[in-house]
Amino acid sequence: MNAATSKDGIAVATSPHSARRSVLRGPGPRAAVLALAALGLAALAAGCAAPSPRPVTPAPHAAGHQAAAHAGTTSQSGAATAAATCNPAASSLAPMGPPDVTAGSYMATIKQRGYLIAGVDQSTYHFGYLNPLDGKIEGFDIDMIRAVAKAIFGDPDKVQYKAISDQDRISAVTSGSVDIVAHTMTITCDRLKQVDFSSVYFDAHGRVLIPDDSKATNGLAGLAGQKVCATSGSDSVNTIEQYPVHPKITAIQRPFWTDCLVLLQQDQVGAISTDDAILYGLQAQDPFTKVVGPQLTDEPYGLAMSKQHPDFVRFVNAVLAKDESDGGWETSYKRWVNPAGATPPTPHYAS
Amino acid sequence: MVHAAVRAGRPAGAVVGRIRQQRLDLAATPGRLWLLLIGLVTLCLAWGALSAYTAQHYSSAASSVVNTREQLSLDAQQIYSHLSDANDATATAFLAPGPESAATRTRYTSDIAAASSGIEQVTADGGVTGTAAQDLAVLAKFLPTYTQEIGDAEANNRLGLPLGAAYLRDASGLMRGNLLTSAKDLYAAENASLSAASAQATGLPLIIVTLVVGVAVGFLLYRASRWLRGRTNRVLNVGLVAAGTLLAVSVIWLAAAFLGARSDLLSAQARGSATVEAVAQASITAQEAHADESLTLIDNTGRDSYEMDFIAQSKALGPGDGTLLAGAAAAAAGTPAGPTVTTAASDATAWFADHTALRALDDHGQHPAAVNSALGTGAKDSGAAFTRLADDFAAAIHSDQAVFNSTAPAAASAYAGVVAATIAAALLMAAACVWGLSRRIAEYR
Repeated sequence: MNAATSKDGIAVATSPHSARRSVLRGPGPRAAVLALAALGLAALAAGCAAPSPRPVTPAPHAAGHQAAAHAGTTSQSGAATAAATCNPAASSLAPMGPPDVTAGSYMATIKQRGYLIAGVDQSTYHFGYLNPLDGKIEGFDIDMIRAVAKAIFGDPDKVQYKAISDQDRISAVTSGSVDIVAHTMTITCDRLKQVDFSSVYFDAHGRVLIPDDSKATNGLAGLAGQKVCATSGSDSVNTIEQYPVHPKITAIQRPFWTDCLVLLQQDQVGAISTDDAILYGLQAQDPFTKVVGPQLTDEPYGLAMSKQHPDFVRFVNAVLAKDESDGGWETSYKRWVNPAGATPPTPHYAS
Repeated sequence: MVHAAVRAGRPAGAVVGRIRQQRLDLAATPGRLWLLLIGLVTLCLAWGALSAYTAQHYSSAASSVVNTREQLSLDAQQIYSHLSDANDATATAFLAPGPESAATRTRYTSDIAAASSGIEQVTADGGVTGTAAQDLAVLAKFLPTYTQEIGDAEANNRLGLPLGAAYLRDASGLMRGNLLTSAKDLYAAENASLSAASAQATGLPLIIVTLVVGVAVGFLLYRASRWLRGRTNRVLNVGLVAAGTLLAVSVIWLAAAFLGARSDLLSAQARGSATVEAVAQASITAQEAHADESLTLIDNTGRDSYEMDFIAQSKALGPGDGTLLAGAAAAAAGTPAGPTVTTAASDATAWFADHTALRALDDHGQHPAAVNSALGTGAKDSGAAFTRLADDFAAAIHSDQAVFNSTAPAAASAYAGVVAATIAAALLMAAACVWGLSRRIAEYR
């Protein structure tokens, strides 16, 4: 697990003038891949790859999110506990060959409509955000959506973006108001009861963002009794409130992550805690902050889709697999996350 | 000199002889004359005090309405509407991709400048008390915070950072939660003060009492001259006649000044400030609805809190029974702003139709087209429709404020010199009484 702790050495180059030059640098993603591989093995060893593609038993996913908070060795213990019933990182349906819009499939319905409807974030820098200069939504998540649109239409622009807030992600999918959600959305056992996810397309980890002059360089452990911001209804709120320090940390909830950065800049909170993917996007907007502390949680990101359309889930997984093998994923990663590039997560499927 | 027939029948020599002994004999004529003299002088001076007080009361009330309360109310309304417009301008600026346009920037900066100077003005006037003073304190405290957050929002926006939108949300929350509510309360309080001052300036009880007293004084002068005719051999006492004439002049002058000022004030209100107030309310409501339209598009999360607010504001605006536009139309009927307010009603209806079309675009995934409609200047664009409505309101406010400005000062000037005149008249009346009676008293020496 030295790979995990080595993430602390991540350096961030920030230029406020170019979103694209601010990066998340370090061996982290590769380490995450190794961790994932280990996790997959652990899952196999536990013999828990459920025959049903959609595990329904409630899972103590909190274990994966909080138990290993101090150690930074979350993958092993988290997976081992959660694996008893559900493995978020290997929960999706395997593709049936290369992406193909088969007759009568949900993809055919989308194609008939003329555009893909995607629920996305509009305020998470580098993953899904509305660029105020040209009014377009862009980022790493958005590139995943564009790959899906390209596979259906041959045109990555045939997408209707619906900006949704964190707490509307599940309902947007279950109500059918969007075909797919790409929204720095962690695959969890709870969420798997309501929606289907694609295979993991990005491995994030919960950490902490503090101002440069803050003393809490060891993360939440140094923030006892202080206020820490997270978005309303996010899992990060639980991570913050249940962190074992005395006095307890107070979670301040805001609709968007950028709202948290406003509070941090106004000294109304001592830190922001959530996935590093999001925190690096915030740090890129304020060079006088830094991401610190051990990895608190594993946050494997997946694209969320309705349970009504397993054919679409398999199709999207085929698109991701193709994207990851033909260099599309790495191009996006280099553009939005780290110019040094990384190896894409190795997909694991439940069936 | 008029000589009456001698009816008393008393020999003049006997009276002169007994005058020293009878000076204090108040039952006798010379003593009664002295009593009458003192009584009349007192009466004249008392009348002077009452009439001067009445003139002063109405004069200062009219002047307070025209020079202070109306100005404060207008300042409060300006603060409210400029803040509301600044809120709308920033929402519009953030809706358009890229840096804000020069026009929006000018609109925002001039709104903030006007609101700031309005706050300073109202504070300097010192006429604001109670909860209105607290509202004023809130405005003075949070306006700098608001402008700083808008500055942060713009700076981040120009760098292409989504943090700018977060600062806009924060600033907008401050504007809606603190600034606009305080400005609204301040305006309501100042408007109530204006109504109270106006009621005082046009109220009837005091002037009626004073005029009745004036008539009573006149009656007493008449009775005194009747009594004198019985005691002396003159049909008329010139002093008392002069006093009566002066009384009539001061009563008529006071009544005329009051009636003139009252009619000017009521007309200035009916044809000026009442319309301005009604149209201002409608205009501010339209601005808030327009900000809602932009904020719904900026927020773009499918949450409809701003749109719900838009619907509520548009219902309050009207047109239709009991709406702000109906109120403005009623107030503006027969004033120069009348036709403009009528146009505003149809422009509001047209805007709501364009807004509905805009929402349909946005709800059907055509967000960019919806934004274009909100910012557009074309015939069917929601943005252009709102601009027409806003222009109607601005023109209506301008023309009826001009009516008020030209009519109301006449109300204050109607009382010019009345206080001095009533005092001078009362002193002259007293002098005339002394002169008229002392000549009769002298006849007994």
